[in-house]
Amino acid sequence: MSTVPGEPIDRDTEAGGVRLAQRRRSQPVGWWGMALFLCSEVTIFGTMIATYFYLEFGNRHWPPLGIAPEKVAAPAIATGVLVATVLPMWFAARAARRGERRTVLWMIALAFIVQAAYFGVQVALMAHDLSLFSPKGSAYGSIFYTLLGAHHAHVLLGCLLDLAVFWFVARKGLTDYWLTATRNLALYWYVINALAVLVLLTQLSPSL
Amino acid sequence: MATVTRPRGQQYIDLLDRVWGERRGLLGWLTTTDHKRIGIMYFFTALAFFGAGGVEALLIRTQLFGPNGHVLSPAAYDEVFTMHGITMIFLFVIPMTTGAFGNYLLPLMIGARDMAFPRMNAVSYWIYLASGIFMYIALAQGHAPNAGWFDYVPLASKTYDPSINIDYYGWGLIFNGIASTATSINFIVTIFKLRAPGMSLNRMPLFCYAFLAVSFALLFALPSLSVAALFLELDRQLGFHFYDVSHGGNPLLWQNLFWIFGHPEVYIIILPAFGIATSIIPAFSRRKMVFFPLVALSEILVAFLGFGVWVHHMFTVGYATVTTVYFAAASLIIVIPSAIQLFAWITTIMTGTPQFATPMLFIIGFIIFFIIGGLSGVTLAAIPFDQQVHDSYYVIAHFHFVIFGAAVFPILGGMYFWFPKVTGRMYHEGIGKLSFGLTFVGTLVTFFPMHILGLMGMVRRNYTYPAGLGFSTLNALETVASYLLAAGLLMIVLNLLVSYFKGPAAGKDPFEGDTLEWSTTSPPPAYNYAVIPTVTSPYPMWDTQDRELDNKRLERGEGVLALGHRTPGSTVQDAQLDEILKMPPHSIWPPVTALALAGVFVMLLLGHYFIAAGCAAVIALALFGWHHHGSDP
Amino acid sequence: MAPGPPSPRKTAYLVKPPPHQPRRASKTRYAVAVIVVAGAAIASGCGRQSIISNKSPQAHSITVLWWWMLGVAGLVFLGAVAFLVIGFVTRRSPGLPFIGRHEPAAQVLVLLFGIGIPLVVLVALFGVSDVYLVRQTSAPAPGTTKLTINVIGHQWWWEARYENGRAVTANEIHIPARTRVNVVATTADVIHSFWVPQLNRKIDMIPGQRNRVLLYADHPGKYRGQCSQYCGLQHANMAMYVIAQPPTAFRAWLKHLSTRAVTPHTAEARAGERLFMTSQCASCHFINGTPAQGSVGPDLTHVESRSTLAAGTIPNTPKWLADWIHNPQNIKPGVRMPDLGLSWTEVHKIAAYLEELK
Ligand code: HEA
Ligand code: HEA
Ligand code: HEC
Ligand code: CUA
Ligand SMILES: [Cu+2]
Repeated sequence: MSTVPGEPIDRDTEAGGVRLAQRRRSQPVGWWGMALFLCSEVTIFGTMIATYFYLEFGNRHWPPLGIAPEKVAAPAIATGVLVATVLPMWFAARAARRGERRTVLWMIALAFIVQAAYFGVQVALMAHDLSLFSPKGSAYGSIFYTLLGAHHAHVLLGCLLDLAVFWFVARKGLTDYWLTATRNLALYWYVINALAVLVLLTQLSPSL
Repeated sequence: MATVTRPRGQQYIDLLDRVWGERRGLLGWLTTTDHKRIGIMYFFTALAFFGAGGVEALLIRTQLFGPNGHVLSPAAYDEVFTMHGITMIFLFVIPMTTGAFGNYLLPLMIGARDMAFPRMNAVSYWIYLASGIFMYIALAQGHAPNAGWFDYVPLASKTYDPSINIDYYGWGLIFNGIASTATSINFIVTIFKLRAPGMSLNRMPLFCYAFLAVSFALLFALPSLSVAALFLELDRQLGFHFYDVSHGGNPLLWQNLFWIFGHPEVYIIILPAFGIATSIIPAFSRRKMVFFPLVALSEILVAFLGFGVWVHHMFTVGYATVTTVYFAAASLIIVIPSAIQLFAWITTIMTGTPQFATPMLFIIGFIIFFIIGGLSGVTLAAIPFDQQVHDSYYVIAHFHFVIFGAAVFPILGGMYFWFPKVTGRMYHEGIGKLSFGLTFVGTLVTFFPMHILGLMGMVRRNYTYPAGLGFSTLNALETVASYLLAAGLLMIVLNLLVSYFKGPAAGKDPFEGDTLEWSTTSPPPAYNYAVIPTVTSPYPMWDTQDRELDNKRLERGEGVLALGHRTPGSTVQDAQLDEILKMPPHSIWPPVTALALAGVFVMLLLGHYFIAAGCAAVIALALFGWHHHGSDP
Repeated sequence: MAPGPPSPRKTAYLVKPPPHQPRRASKTRYAVAVIVVAGAAIASGCGRQSIISNKSPQAHSITVLWWWMLGVAGLVFLGAVAFLVIGFVTRRSPGLPFIGRHEPAAQVLVLLFGIGIPLVVLVALFGVSDVYLVRQTSAPAPGTTKLTINVIGHQWWWEARYENGRAVTANEIHIPARTRVNVVATTADVIHSFWVPQLNRKIDMIPGQRNRVLLYADHPGKYRGQCSQYCGLQHANMAMYVIAQPPTAFRAWLKHLSTRAVTPHTAEARAGERLFMTSQCASCHFINGTPAQGSVGPDLTHVESRSTLAAGTIPNTPKWLADWIHNPQNIKPGVRMPDLGLSWTEVHKIAAYLEELK
């Protein structure tokens, strides 16, 4: 086992990184790291969503009297648009494995624009909600804003990751490290989008 | 057996020494990414916190020596027992097991040259250190958390605890949790991906199974605590209402969230101890573990089932019987995997030719205490009985037997067991045995009477008790014994300290251990192994022909991987060589990141949210630098 | 699996394996000593709060359960330790005694003792405790009890309200003996836990929840209870007494409790009453039939009928009462009753008044 078929590869060149990605039989170390990190994040959201229903279970009026149930349309559309960005992300990941750097960059840029826009819209929606009812008014308000706030924070983090990966891929190319990073970025967004749907359903559950 | 210092392999060793040369001095420790150095830093930090927690314990005991004690004021007592619990669990046991033992030994046992994410490993340590300091600043200020380690609301709410004490608890535990999460991710990936070629999952040492289980348990248990603590701080600092009945909140939400974390936590505490036991027992019984696969399975099962029993801490909150009965049943089922392991250990000893050297003695103590504490746990799973003794000293007795007796004794045994490997010196056997005797008797006499006190109605978390209830005699006995215990522990520390300077050279493998770490020099070189070891069974050191093969391969320079920090990456299940990984070198960014993170939490504590955001931005910059320099070494 | 390398291990640095028997012996010796001490303690009437000296069917059956569990646990413990002893005795010869090196035999042992026996024990334990006994100690079905008492936990004292508030007392809860009593446990602030070990299991008092527990006493008597959920500074001094009386005596007591406070006789007491009403006392305490309508502290209408003060912290003697009024913070640091800085003369006046509130 002295040498692996095809070793030594210089994984710090685009060529090497891509060859490695195509030859590997199991997921790279970095991918596992991101996957497990996302397990933890999903658990966090699971706990918050569970809290939402636990509190609902203990209240006769949910949302409490005086608070209108959420409007369905706006958040639903926004989430739909966000979820659509799994496509560019998927293409980015695929292009990365094929070593098509420019496609990767374009796809990340495209996704970023949509995601950033989504973030802006959500912030506006939340500002609007805040004018209607406060997190300090009731347990409903508390969990409502905490849950949404947590997800928006993850979207913001995702946008920053977009920028970082874009920058490094542009400068260093699809080295093994940044190729994996691109795939991780896609993975991150798949999960965050899935969570977006769950959060949306929770948020709208009284209205549905 | 042949040594690697044969002239013919020597040139490769020199090459590796050059490639893996570590920075010297303080800067070297600050920027290191070597799992062994990080493990050592974890060890001393955790030991210091053990000392702190122990001193707090002795203060508790001194206060309770007789009725109406006046050593501590009521307020001081509350802070001391709370800090004792927090320190021992979050700042001692977990960092000591995962941080110190896991970090140092896991890569060695699987034949890797470092953890999967060396820099993340470093950042975990620095975060842990910072979070510990964070919480002890509270104590220094006289504003330590004071609502008990499970910190029930509404007592912990702003209304009843308006000062900053609880905020240290809330933010401190979230802070500390980040470190543990990072560590557990690191372990899982290391175990999955960095095992030496040939070490398929079924050839992995039980120690590694234990740590795999622990890591998964941590990964899925901690979020519950962090979320609960976040809610708590939102309630306290921004006036949210998660736990406030008057606004539709619910104090039981806290109890559920805490124990959903809290019970898995206790198995997180015990599992590494199991792992250590399963490394020491075969070595000193001179035989392989009985029923290896079943034991491995049980380790996983304990961690898994541990998620389904949390309400047994809440049998008295007034839940419907159907609910409590379900969790009682679950608590009883979880006994089975523990019992399997217990008898696997015992049978291994019985059917082997056991040598009762110091490490083994501590494992014997561990077994005895685990039986006692476990059985008392079983009695607590009997709902009516638990409803009697809940929050009495009976519970204190239960968990000190399982926590101190069963979780800490293997740590102590492990300290003796791996001391020769880490330092290259042999400890003093006679004093070792003496120290065992002291700690064993001390533990027994400190904690056993607590069962009786509990049955006599002594309530826990009482800063004093009246005369005339019959509590005095036993409490005095316990206090005396706790000093004995302290003496024993100190003797261990001193034994190892002196042996470090005066002890005889230990050689590679003083105990004829069964796992890989014994095949390399003591202490191991920065690259752990000159050649990536061959593995064909879970007891690689007893496959002498494989070790011979390694030496031959070294002479041929085969599998040396000396171009840069290299280590093999394998497929997850059957560990076929898949790629040659490149390890990042030392880096200054981990401590910088941790420092910035500390800034975030201090500012959150003080309520300066914008400055906190500023510190977060600094983290972003640090991470940028991290990748700028680190991604292509 | 085959045992490890047969190579005789080099024990240069290892002194001869230690005599293990004595250590276990010493262990048991300590255990015995401890049990003796405790036995003495429990026997010598100090069992006033012990679950062992039970005084009701509920507490009794829990005690029985305990002795059985202890017995079985003892057997299990000895069994496991016996294995270790065998292991020590046969430490020179590999394999099991008689059977010798026979891996399947070892594995059977693990299955038998690791799964078989525990399964039996656990199922039995589950049936007895969690299916059968749990009913006996659960809250009384609504309407099955003649008497209901609302016990409200405060930091750090107990309020007991009879006949939905027509008769109120603190820290000393009277019940008729041999009568099933329904206790409704609630809290005014943080979580407390109502526990009278000699009579029944405990129940937590949780904000927003109305928990209930059954109280029953075989014989008239005075049973000590204590708050068992940590509730802050004076959690340690939050005791209470349940006083079981013959039903007739109980009815008389209850009747008296619902009467208004007496008007003071002596001049000093009358002065004391005036002081009480004018100083802050009245803003916190309730005295039936007077302007004192406070609700922060215990009802003092019949404070003199109680044998202890401040939740069992001090005996209710004139001296202690005066000390308490003069500065409760000395006696119960952090207590929610402030030091009002009264002069001793004022204190004695007020004490004189309270002492008439029989
Ligand atoms: C190392 C940590 C650890 C471990 C391993 C355990 C193990 C167990 N614990 Fe314990 N527990 C704690 C730490 C731990 N516990 C802590 C810290 C608390 C209190 C927290 C607080 O309130 O502050 C607690 C509290 C606690 C309670 C709540 C008590 C109360 O607050 O009222 C309960 C109730 O069911 C319980 C049950 C159990 C059970 C059934 C086991 C089982 O896993 C035990 C299994 C092991 C054995 C049974 C012994 C070996 C097996 C045999 C000898 C075979 C034969 C056995 C039979 C035939 C039965 N524990
Ligand atoms: C891992 C967990 C752990 C450990 C190891 C211990 C160890 C000890 N604990 Fe406890 N304990 C808890 C976890 C632990 N504890 C928890 C969770 C609680 C509940 C808290 C709560 O209610 O909120 C508790 C509560 C608790 C109480 C009840 C307090 C109360 O309810 O009022 C008591 C009382 O006796 C006690 C005693 C002890 C004693 C005597 C030890 C002894 O074993 C300690 C012995 C150790 C030493 C004496 C240290 C010796 C020093 C060294 C070896 C280091 C030397 C090196 C340097 C100085 C650098 N502990
Ligand atoms: C700010 C509120 C407050 C004021 C003012 C106050 N008390 Fe109290 N008092 C309490 C509380 C609360 C307790 C219960 C303390 C405990 O046991 O924890 C108490 C307990 C007592 C008790 C013991 C009752 C029992 O049965 O245990 C007496 C007697 C008493 N107060 C008398 C007085 C007198 C006399 C004054 C005025 C000089 C006074 N109190 C002023 C709050 C107050
Ligand atoms: Cu009330 Cu403890
Ligand atoms: Cu538990």
